[in-house]
This record gives sequence, C-alpha cells and structure tokens, in this order.
Amino acid sequence: MTTATGTRTLTLREIGPAERGTRPEEVVIALSPAFGDPFTKTIVDVPHAEVIRQLLAGIEEQGGVARTIKVYRTADLAAIAHFGAKLSGSGIAVGILARGTTVVHQRDLARLSNLELFPQAPLLDAEVFRMIGANAAQYAQSRSPRPVPTRNDQMARPRWQAKAALLHLKEFECIDHARAAVEVEPVITRVD
Amino acid sequence: MRPPLVVGVDVGNSTTEACAAEVDDAGPTRLASSLTPTTGVKGTPANAAGVVTAVRKALEAAARPGAVVDTVLLNEATPVISGLAMETISETIITESTMIGHNPETPGGEGLGVGTTVALAELGGQDGPVVVVVGAGADFDDVAHALNRAVEAGVDVVAAVLHGDDAVLVANRLTRPVPVVDEVAAVDRVPLGMLAAVEVAPPGRTIRTLADSYGLASTFALDAEQTRQVSPVARALAGTRSAVVVRTPEGDVTDRRIPVGSLTVSGATRSIDVGVDEGAEAVMAAIGRVAPLQDVSGEPGTHVGGMLAAVRDTMVDVTGQPAAEIRIRDVLAVDTMVPVTVQGGLAGEVSRENAVALAAMVRTSRSRMQAVADEVAAALGCDVRIGGVEGEVAVRGALTTPGSAVPVAVVDMGGGSTDAALLDRDGRTVAVHVAGAGELVTKLIDSELGLDDREAAESVKRHPLAKVESFFHVRHEDSSVQFFDEALPPHVFGRVVTVTPEGLVPVPVRRPVEAVRTVRREAKRRVFVVNALRALAQVAPQGSLRLLGSVVLLGGSALDFEIPAMVADALAPHGVVCGIGNVHGTEGPRNAVAAGLVDAHAAALVAP
Repeated sequence: MTTATGTRTLTLREIGPAERGTRPEEVVIALSPAFGDPFTKTIVDVPHAEVIRQLLAGIEEQGGVARTIKVYRTADLAAIAHFGAKLSGSGIAVGILARGTTVVHQRDLARLSNLELFPQAPLLDAEVFRMIGANAAQYAQSRSPRPVPTRNDQMARPRWQAKAALLHLKEFECIDHARAAVEVEPVITRVD
Repeated sequence: MRPPLVVGVDVGNSTTEACAAEVDDAGPTRLASSLTPTTGVKGTPANAAGVVTAVRKALEAAARPGAVVDTVLLNEATPVISGLAMETISETIITESTMIGHNPETPGGEGLGVGTTVALAELGGQDGPVVVVVGAGADFDDVAHALNRAVEAGVDVVAAVLHGDDAVLVANRLTRPVPVVDEVAAVDRVPLGMLAAVEVAPPGRTIRTLADSYGLASTFALDAEQTRQVSPVARALAGTRSAVVVRTPEGDVTDRRIPVGSLTVSGATRSIDVGVDEGAEAVMAAIGRVAPLQDVSGEPGTHVGGMLAAVRDTMVDVTGQPAAEIRIRDVLAVDTMVPVTVQGGLAGEVSRENAVALAAMVRTSRSRMQAVADEVAAALGCDVRIGGVEGEVAVRGALTTPGSAVPVAVVDMGGGSTDAALLDRDGRTVAVHVAGAGELVTKLIDSELGLDDREAAESVKRHPLAKVESFFHVRHEDSSVQFFDEALPPHVFGRVVTVTPEGLVPVPVRRPVEAVRTVRREAKRRVFVVNALRALAQVAPQGSLRLLGSVVLLGGSALDFEIPAMVADALAPHGVVCGIGNVHGTEGPRNAVAAGLVDAHAAALVAP
C-alpha cells in the first residue's frame, strides 16, 4: 500500500450546481459542509487532500470515474450520502464527514441503510480510504467486492468521543440552509 | 377400543424418519409421518434420541401427542459408514523467483516489455531496456513521476512490477505507456539485474507470448533444450491476464506429482495395487477388475494410508469391533481440482491442482441397533422390534408409488451412501450399497470453489443460483429476471446468491454464476449419476440396465431440484422408466423405509 510523501493541499473549485450524472459507472463523492473548508483534516489528522486523493485513486484503479459534490444543507452523513447516491449515474455514492466518518450508499436503499459503513472515524487511514474508493467503483460496475474489513477499537469511543462531539458542533455551524449543493473539482496541490 | 398404534422408524445417515399408523386385521391406517436429523453416527446407540424425537413428532403430527405406542419398528440399519478424504496429487513449485503469473484484478497498460530488472531507487543512467521493480510503500504519484523523469533522461523503461495495487494509477500517469503488473506481495524477492519479460493482456484476454513455449524462446533467445526446460513456465502461465518471467541461471518451475501413496484393492480372487496419483479413473478401473471388492487398504505412512486408517478408527468406535475385522467394501474415487497456493510464488499465486477425493464405505458384521432398540424401549415404554433388510423394506415402500410395477429397482440417494435394490417378478430382492452421496458432493463443491465453508457449500448444493443485479431485481441462473417490490438487503447487493426458501444467501465467491453452476452440476454428476449407474448395474439382471423396467428414486437427494432429472437423463438411453418416488402417493421420496416397515408388520399380522 502506498503512503504519501510530501504534503498536499486540497482546494475545492466550484463548477456549478450539483446535478444528476448520466455515466452508468460513475461514483459520486459527497462531502459534508465543513469538508476541505474550513476543516482540512480528519479527527486523526489525515489531511482531507489525502482522503480525497486515495478515494479517487481507488476508483481510478478499478477503472471507474468519479464526481465530487459538496452539500451545505445538512451535516447528517446518511442524508449527505443518500443525496449523493440519487445524483450518481450508477446510484452509488461515498458520503464523508469532515471528521472522517464514511459510508457507501446506493440510491435504492432506505436513507438509514447502507452498503458499507465506517462509523469509527479515528480508525480510518489513507489505506482504508483507498479500499473504500475501490469498493465503491466495483459496486458501480455491478461487481461483487469483498467488503472493506472494518476495524473496531473498544477504546475509540471513550478516547475520541469528546473531540468528535466538538467537531460535530463545528461542522453543524457550517450548515447553510440557503445554499444548494454544488459540484466541485478537487484540486490537489503538492507543497514541499 | 382403538387398534394398536405402530410407528415405523428409519434411521438414515442424515435423517431419521418415522411413520405412525394404526394396524388392525384390515391392514394399516397411516396417520402421519415425521422427519428429524439423525443423532450420532448411524447404527450407534446415540441414535436413540433421534428415534424418540421422530416418534414424538409423528404422534404430534397425527394429533395424538402422548398417545400410548404399542410397537416401534426399527430398520436393521445397514451398518454402512462412509468416510471422505481428499488429497492433492499435483503441485507447482517456483524456484529462484523466476515467474510471477497471477491475475491482479487491475494490471495497467498493455503489451509486452523485455528488459533488465532494476530497483526504483537505482533508476537512471542504464543502457538498454529496463523493467522497474517497485517495493512496498511507494506512492503512485511518486512512482509515475520517477518513471517519467527517467524516460526524459533517456532510460528505456519498458515495464514495471509493483508491490501495491497501483498499476492502473501508475500506467495512467506515464508519458510513455508500458505494461505494469501490480499486487506482487513478495516483490523484494524479484532478482535484480536479470533479464525479465512483463506481459499484460487487454481486458478480457489472456497473455499470448509468455504463456507459449516458443514465445518464451523468442523472448529470451533460448535454444531447443532450454525451450524444453521452460515449457512448464509457459503452461503455468496459461490463462492469466498478466505475467512476469525472470530469466535466472538456475530458476525453474516444476509441476510435479505428489506421491500420496497407493491403494491395495482386494477382490475375492486377487488384489491389485493402484497409485492414487494416477487419478480416479485408474482407481475405479482397478476396483472394477477385482469385483466383488472384499477390502481396500492404503499404503502405510502415506496420505492415503492415513485417510483409510481414519475411516477404520471411526468404525472401531462405532461398532466396537477390532480394526482388523473391519472391511472397506466400496470406494468411489472422483477427480477434482482444488485451488492451491503456489510454492515459491511471489504474488500469492494460486494454481488449480489435481486432486482425488475418496469416499470409502465400511460394512461390519454386526450393527448395534439392538442397543438403540433397548434405549428407545426404555424411553417410550413400548415394544421395539428390529426387522427388515433396508433394501427390501425400501422396495416395498417404493412400490406404493403410483405408476410403479414389479420388477422395480430403487435408488436411495442419501447423505453417505447410494443404495440400490431390485425386486424381481419372483419376489426376490437384491440390494447393494456404494460409497459416495450427498456429503461427497458438498465436499467437492466446497473445495473446488475454494469456499472452506461447509454451510455455504451445502447451500450451493441445495439451491439454485442467482446474481443480484440491483436492489430490485435478480437474474436467475437460467437467465430469467425476477423483480421485487421491496428493496433487497444490502448484504446481497451485486453478489452471487443462492435462492433459498428463507431468502437470498450470498455465496462467498468471486466467480460468475455460470462457473459456480458448472461446478455444482459436475459434482452432482460425478457422484450421483456415476453411482446410480454403478449401483443399478450391480443389481440388474445380468448386469444389464435394459432389463430393469422401472427405477424409483428415493432419499433426501431425490428431493434435489436437479439430481433426479440428471439421473433420469442418464438412464433414458437404456429404456428405463425413472422417476421420483411418491410413497403412498403422498410422501414423496421420503419415508419409504418407515412406511415399508409398517406395511411389512401389518402383512405379518394378517398372514401369520
């Protein structure tokens, strides 16, 4: 597995309103209101640039295509991911919160259901994001990926709960009910 | 006063069946039947618990729970116990890391690149074509950048071999496209400074040059003798989408037969030694030559010896007979292919190796049904009688199938053994038991699909397959499509599933539905069709299937959705009427022995 050398920054360049895609193999990456801006890293300091880079790499390695959207009206992961899935040409979306919590969703599923859920953000690193991207691309191609092994750490909750709550409140403050979701182009720049 | 209540009970390898009836001078009046899993090994005292359960269930089904049973009839369980074993008989060994022949899901680029192996860190200044070897931990952006820079500096990079799953990512970022093979777990063992060839085929194709002996000869400029030596490499690479071959002074790929030992098959007059590594056909031919089989023994200290010893040990436990008295009366050998990790492989390559599965059947001189009978009598407080040879009773039960007539043959396809019996016009019956039935099919499916999960294999055996194509529709194995009003559960999305009465169950394989279906049908054909023909030939007059008349299929496997049709198809050319038993027109292929026991008991009462 690859680990990044050097530092990279993420800029989300707005393209226009988030619209429904038509490519049958596409995966939508749906970002939460605070993702990339103002937050720049997850709860365990994985840079958002790396999260996006690995998700996109996973999708590309499997021969898929991706579109990224940013949602402003809610910070509820299920809602973000399901919204993304409904815009996805394949019906598959990866929803992700600024603190790192991730879900793979499909448009025909109930909103609170999911294909794969990664609820413990502190356990998600670059390697896991790569596998999540790869699996999402395979679902979009009607293949049967083996689910990404979910890690579990009994201590994650007590250790990280306070920080997670704070990050959630911060993200909540970024919600803008007046702002519709937009399609963005992730621009990753290397700065070293 | 009610007539006496009689319950016939048939203890089988996997299920215990009961049939409750009231018997008076006018004959039996059947009340109900029941089915429960057999407890313990057939013919052992542990069966008693299952028998009691079956009797109670039958009484409940007859709406007479707790009724006083007058007599319980037990079958003389044929003391047939089967054992199973599987041994791989071929293996592929790679020495000096000369070859990587695996199917990473996503190799990058296309074509063939031949050059000298160089580590990424050493790249720069080389003359001549190079194959870059990239170790663990490299980032795809960095690798692509380094390769592009080297090409700009004049190095002729013709291919790359990667540790991580990055081939497409790297290939997409190269200014000059080259074939890239990835997911090579032991990339650090690839010899450096050696001539190597990397080939990646387009999607949906397999490699051509490296999978061909003369292709290898042209690539590496080999003479005739060297070409002969590398031909196993070519064969080992056939069918893969990408491969790497490194030419080292001593490197080799060998495809060798594993000595698994030989079987000594003894008949009445002579015995023959046959090596199990010669394959199933040779074993079955040897058994045919010595027929009737008296005993089989394995070469001590070999895999086969160990396997047969295990069967004997089980039998010693079951019967209490000394090991020396136990005779193996039938063996079914089946060729199979199992996925095995290649020794010396660098990318966890798996090759499909030949294996032989053996089902052995042991017959003992005495069974311990009397012990079962005593326990059942104590538990139910009634008279328990043991009677009837299984074959005869089964024929009697089968004859109640509407449309069947004497002469009739039955084939009872159970879990451990396949039994055949014939009732001729003179009222004589002959019965045989041959090794191999449902359990062997499950084992074949399990190993051929590499499931390593008996439950999953059992599910594949019992139910048709489908592929979940969306949350609202599945495509069945016959390519018909079924839609659902409610979304299917997420865990089956995109998967190959078995269609069970309880719903869709995912099968943990990455192969398409068609491949799984072929494995399933082949396993059934090699066990049930082969055994049905083999067993019927033994009971048929003069060994001729044409003289059989009608054949009734019984046992749990006769309920299978395709086995009866496969057996009927195989018998059709012999002009035999073959169908699924329907005992008393209501019970289907089940309960033949239990119902037959009751009928025999009633007949004995009427005509003493």
